[in-house]
Amino acid sequence: MSAHTYKKFENSTSGDLPDKMTIYQDCMNTFNESPVNSKRCRLLISRLLRLLAQGETFPQNEATALFFSISKLFQHQNDSLRQAVYLAIKELSGISEDVLMATSSIMKDVQNGSDLIKPDAIRSLTYVLDESTAFSAERLLKSAVVSRHPSISSAALCTSYHLLPISEVTIRRFTNETQEAVLDLKQFPNQPTNSEYYPNSTYISQYHALGLLYQLKKNDKMALLKLVRHFSENNSLKNQLAKVELVKIVNDLLYRDPQLFNQFRPLLSDWLSNKFESVQLETAKLITSFATRNSRLVAPELYAAAVSALQSLLTVPRVSSRFAALRILNRISMVSPEKIVVCNPELESLINDSNRNISTYAITTLLKTGTSKNISSLISTITNFIHDVSDDFKIIIIDAVRTLSLNFPQEWKSILNFLIDVLKNSEGGFKFKNSIVEALIDIVSFVPQSKELALENLCDFIEDCEFNEILVRILHLLGKEGPSAPNPSLYVRHIYNRVVLENSIIRSAAVVALSKFALTKNDSTLYESIISLLKRIANDKDDEVRDRATIALEFIDSARNKQDVIAQNLIESKYYYDIPSLESKLNSYISSNIDSFATAFDVNQVRKFTEDEMKAINLKRKQEQIFNQKSETTLDTTPEADSIVPEKRADANSFAGPNLDDHQEDLLATKYADELLSIEQIKPFGQLVNSSRAISLTEPEAEFIVRGIKHIFKDNVVLQFNITNTLTDIALDNVSVVCTPEISDEVELEELFTLQVDRLLPSEEAACYVAFKKSDEIVMEGFLNNLTFTTKEINPDTNEPFEGDEGFQDEYEIDSIFLNAGDYVKSSFTGNFSATFDELPCEEIAVFNIQEDLSIQEVVDKIILNSSCLPVESTQFAPSDSNSHTLKLFGKSALTGSKVALQIKMIKSSKGLALKVHGKGEDRLLCSDLVNGLM
Amino acid sequence: MSSLSLYTVQAFLILDQQGERIYAKYYQPPHRSDDGNQLLFNSVKKQKEFEKQLHRKTHKQDSEILIFEDHLVLYKEYIDVTIYLVSSLEENEIVLQQGFSAIRGALDLILNSGMDKKNIQENYDMVILVIDETIDNGVILETDSNTIASRVSKPPTNEPQMALDLDKGFLGAWGFAKSKFQERLQQGL
Repeated sequence: MSAHTYKKFENSTSGDLPDKMTIYQDCMNTFNESPVNSKRCRLLISRLLRLLAQGETFPQNEATALFFSISKLFQHQNDSLRQAVYLAIKELSGISEDVLMATSSIMKDVQNGSDLIKPDAIRSLTYVLDESTAFSAERLLKSAVVSRHPSISSAALCTSYHLLPISEVTIRRFTNETQEAVLDLKQFPNQPTNSEYYPNSTYISQYHALGLLYQLKKNDKMALLKLVRHFSENNSLKNQLAKVELVKIVNDLLYRDPQLFNQFRPLLSDWLSNKFESVQLETAKLITSFATRNSRLVAPELYAAAVSALQSLLTVPRVSSRFAALRILNRISMVSPEKIVVCNPELESLINDSNRNISTYAITTLLKTGTSKNISSLISTITNFIHDVSDDFKIIIIDAVRTLSLNFPQEWKSILNFLIDVLKNSEGGFKFKNSIVEALIDIVSFVPQSKELALENLCDFIEDCEFNEILVRILHLLGKEGPSAPNPSLYVRHIYNRVVLENSIIRSAAVVALSKFALTKNDSTLYESIISLLKRIANDKDDEVRDRATIALEFIDSARNKQDVIAQNLIESKYYYDIPSLESKLNSYISSNIDSFATAFDVNQVRKFTEDEMKAINLKRKQEQIFNQKSETTLDTTPEADSIVPEKRADANSFAGPNLDDHQEDLLATKYADELLSIEQIKPFGQLVNSSRAISLTEPEAEFIVRGIKHIFKDNVVLQFNITNTLTDIALDNVSVVCTPEISDEVELEELFTLQVDRLLPSEEAACYVAFKKSDEIVMEGFLNNLTFTTKEINPDTNEPFEGDEGFQDEYEIDSIFLNAGDYVKSSFTGNFSATFDELPCEEIAVFNIQEDLSIQEVVDKIILNSSCLPVESTQFAPSDSNSHTLKLFGKSALTGSKVALQIKMIKSSKGLALKVHGKGEDRLLCSDLVNGLM
Repeated sequence: MSSLSLYTVQAFLILDQQGERIYAKYYQPPHRSDDGNQLLFNSVKKQKEFEKQLHRKTHKQDSEILIFEDHLVLYKEYIDVTIYLVSSLEENEIVLQQGFSAIRGALDLILNSGMDKKNIQENYDMVILVIDETIDNGVILETDSNTIASRVSKPPTNEPQMALDLDKGFLGAWGFAKSKFQERLQQGL
C-alpha cells in the first residue's frame, strides 16, 4: 500500500473504505495500544461496522480476537467511545465466541454508567446473556424498568422482551413493575445534557411496557380484558404506539371470542375519533375485518363510522396515511363494495395522486365499487386518465375492467367502447395490448350481444397490428365466432387481407380461420368463394400454409359432399377435450408403454365438453381468478409487486364460497375416473357421468376422518369413502362402510357390492366403495353410514400387527350422505338467461322458508353447491345492503344433456328467509326434482 | 391478523444511487428459533438481490410507500442516497411512518450539512448510532427525533494524551523557533 493511500484512510473525512485485512490489523493494533486513543478507536470501530454492514464477515477466531480487544476499551471512560464499543459488541456477538466474558463490564455500566450509556449497556445485555445467565440480570433490569428516565426504562423493557423466550421465569418476576411502567408518564430529567438537542418524551416506554405485558399475559383472557379496561380509562395512554397496541390487543380478544364485540363497541367508536391517525386506522381495520368474519355483530352505524374515518384519512396530506386507508378500503371493496361507495368522490380525486401506488389502488377500488348505475361514468373517468400512465398500470386497469365486464354483462356497451378506444388509440407494448384483446375475447364469449361490434373492431385492429401472437389469437376468434355472426362475408375479407399481406405464421392461422367459414349456414354463397380462396392459397410459398390450405380443402370437400361427420368436427369442433385430463392420460400412455404402442391411444377415455359446458367452466375459472386476484390484492397487488404469493385469506375464502376449489376438483374428476375404472367390479358400469365434490362426513379432529364422494354412472351409483386413520399405533383391518337408505321401504337403489379396505395403517388414507344399481334415471336418497372395522395394535418395529392379535371389532357412526338432484346436473353457460328460461317447456315452482339465521349470501352459496348449476349474470353475489335477491342458475343434466334453469327469488325478513324457486327445464322429472330438493 | 409483536421493523437500509449498500441491517427477533418467513433475509446474497430489486422499483419515483415482495416499504430518496424501512404487511403504516420520520429527522439534525452519500460515510458512526437508538432488534425504540439526536454522541475531540503531546509539541516548536530566530539574528547581525 502506498503512503498516499495509507494517508487517505487516516483521514476520517474520506468516504472510501480500506480492505478487510487492513481494518482488522488496524483494529487489533490500535485497541491494544496504551494509552487508548479514543478518537482513533471510534473511527476504527465505525469502519469495522461499515465493513460488517456491507455483508463482510470474519472467521470465528478473528471475530473473537476483535471482540476481546474491543472489550479492553471498557477501561477508557469516554462516553462517546463507549457508545461505539457497544455497537461493536452487538454486531460481533453473533460471530464471536465467549461473549459472556463482557457481561461484568456491561453490568458495571448498567449500574454506574451515565444516562447516555446506561440504555446502551442494558440493550447490549440481550446479546451477551443466555439461558443460564439471564437470571443474573434480574435485579438490574427490574430497577431499570422502574427508572424515571424514559430511555433507561424503555431499554430495560425491550431487553426483557428480547430475553423472554429464554428466561420467562425471570422476566415474570417484574410483571408488576411492567404494569406500573405502562401508566407511568416518564419525563426526561431536567438537567443540562452535553448534547445540543433537547429530548422530548413521547412516553414511548408505555408502548414497550404494554407490549411486554401482553406477552406475559397473552394466555389469560380475563387478565387481558382487565388490562384493556384498565388502560383505556381516563386517557391514561399518552403514546400513540401504545394506543395502537391496545387496539391490537382488543382485536386479538375479539378474534378469540367474537361475542365480546358488544362490550367493546363504545370503546371502538370512541377510538374512531381519536386524535391519532394511527389509532383511527387500526380501529377501522379492526372493525372492517371483524365485520367480514362476523357481519351480524357489527352494527351498520359503526361500520359506516369506520368507513367515514377511512374516508377522512384519504384527504390528509401524509402519503402513508392515505396509502394505509386506501389499502383497507381496497380490501373492503372486494367483499362488500357497496359499503364504500360513499368514498367515491375522494377516490376519484386520488386517481390523479402523484404517488402511483395510491392512484392504482384508487382506480382498482373504484372499479370494484362499480354498480350498474355508475359504470358508464366510471368508465369515462378512466378514459381520461388511462392514456397518461405506464403500461403495467394500464394492465391493472384493463384487468379490473375485465372483471367488471364479467360481473355486469348488461353494461357491455360502454365497457366495449372503452376497450376499443384504448386498443386503438393508446400506445403500449405487447403485454398491454394482449390484455385488452384478452378482455375483448372474454366479452365476446360471455356476452353474445356484443359479438358483432367487438369482432368488427377487432377486424379493424388487425389491419394495423404489429404483434404476431395477438393477430393469431384474433384470427382464431374470428374463425370461431365469425361463421355464426349475421354478416360473415365481412370477416372473410379481413382474414383474406391478412393472407395477402402478412408473414407465414399469420397466413397459416388465417387459413384455418377461413376454412371455418366454408360450412357457414348464414351465407351459402361463401362456400364457393372460400374454396377459390383456399385453392389460391394452396400455391403459397410457405409449406405450412400450403399444407393447411390443402388439408382444409380436403376436409371441406368431404364434409360437404360426403357428409362426413369427422371432417365436419375437424372444421367446426363441437366439443373440447379436458386438457389437463388429456395430458395426464397421454403421459401415462407414453410412460406405461404396455405393448410398444401397438394399441392406439383411446381418446374416448378423456372427458369431453360441449361448447356451453366449456364456457361454463371457463366462466367459473375466470371468476375464480378474480377471487384469487382478490385474495392477492388483499395482500396488495400493485404494479410494483411483480412476484405475488397467492394466499387465501379467511375472508376471501368464505366469500368465494363454492367457486374456490373447482380447479382442483376438475383434476380430481379425472383422477376418480381413473381409480374407479381400474377396479374390476366397476368397469361394467361404463362411463363415469358425474362425480360430486368430497364431503366431510366426520369432524376434522375425529379419530377417523371420512370424506364421501358420489359417483353417478348411467345405471349405477357408487359411493366412495376416503378414510384416513389418524391413530398412531392402531391399524384398521377390513374397513368397510355400511350404508342404510334412510327410507328403507322404497327400494330404488339395490346394493350390489362393497369393496372394503383390507388394512389401513396409521396415518394412511384409503378408499372404500359401495356400489348400487339405480332403478330410475334419477334417484334421490339419503344414506345413514356406519364405519365397521377391526382394530389391531401395531408393533412399532415391524409396522405389522402383533401375531395372534385377534383384534377388536368396532363400529363408528359417520354423517349421512345424500344423493340429490344436483348430483345429476352439470353447470352450463347461457348468454341470454331470460330468453333461454322462457323457451324451456316444463315448469316447476316451489316455496321454501328458512328459519335458521342465515344471511342471503350463505343461502346463495348453499344453493349453488346443492344444485351444481352455474350462476349467471353474476347473481351469485348477494348485495349485503339489501334484503332481497334473485339468483339465476343454469345447468344441464349430466346424463341426457337436457337443460335446466332456475330463478330463485329470496326475501329476508325478521321471521327468516323466504325463497321462491321457479324452475324450468326440458326434462320434467329433473326439473321438479331439482326444484323440490333444493334445500 | 395484525400481529401484536413489538417486532415491527424487518430491515433498515441505506442504498446509494446505484442500489449499492451503504448501510443495511436486517432484524431478527433475538433468542427465537428461525421461522420460515425470515429466511428470506438469511443470506447476504438474497439480501443484496432484494436490495437491488427494491432499488430498481423505487429509484426516481417519489412515492414514499409501497408494497414490495410481500413487504411494506417506506422510503425516502435524497440526492444520491435512499433510505428504506422494511416491514411486514400487517403493520400499521402510520406507526411505521412515525419510526421512519424519527430516523429521518434525527439524521437531518446530526448531519448538519445535509443527507448525502459523502456525509453519511464521513459520519458513519453517528448515522449507525441514530439507527441503533431508534430501532432495537426490530422494536421501535423512540419516535422523537430530538430525543434520538440527544442520545447520539459526537466523536471524541479533545484527547487528553493528545493534548499533552500537543503542549509538548508547542513548547518544542517554540523552543525550536526561538533558537532558530536567535541564529538568524546572530547571522544577520
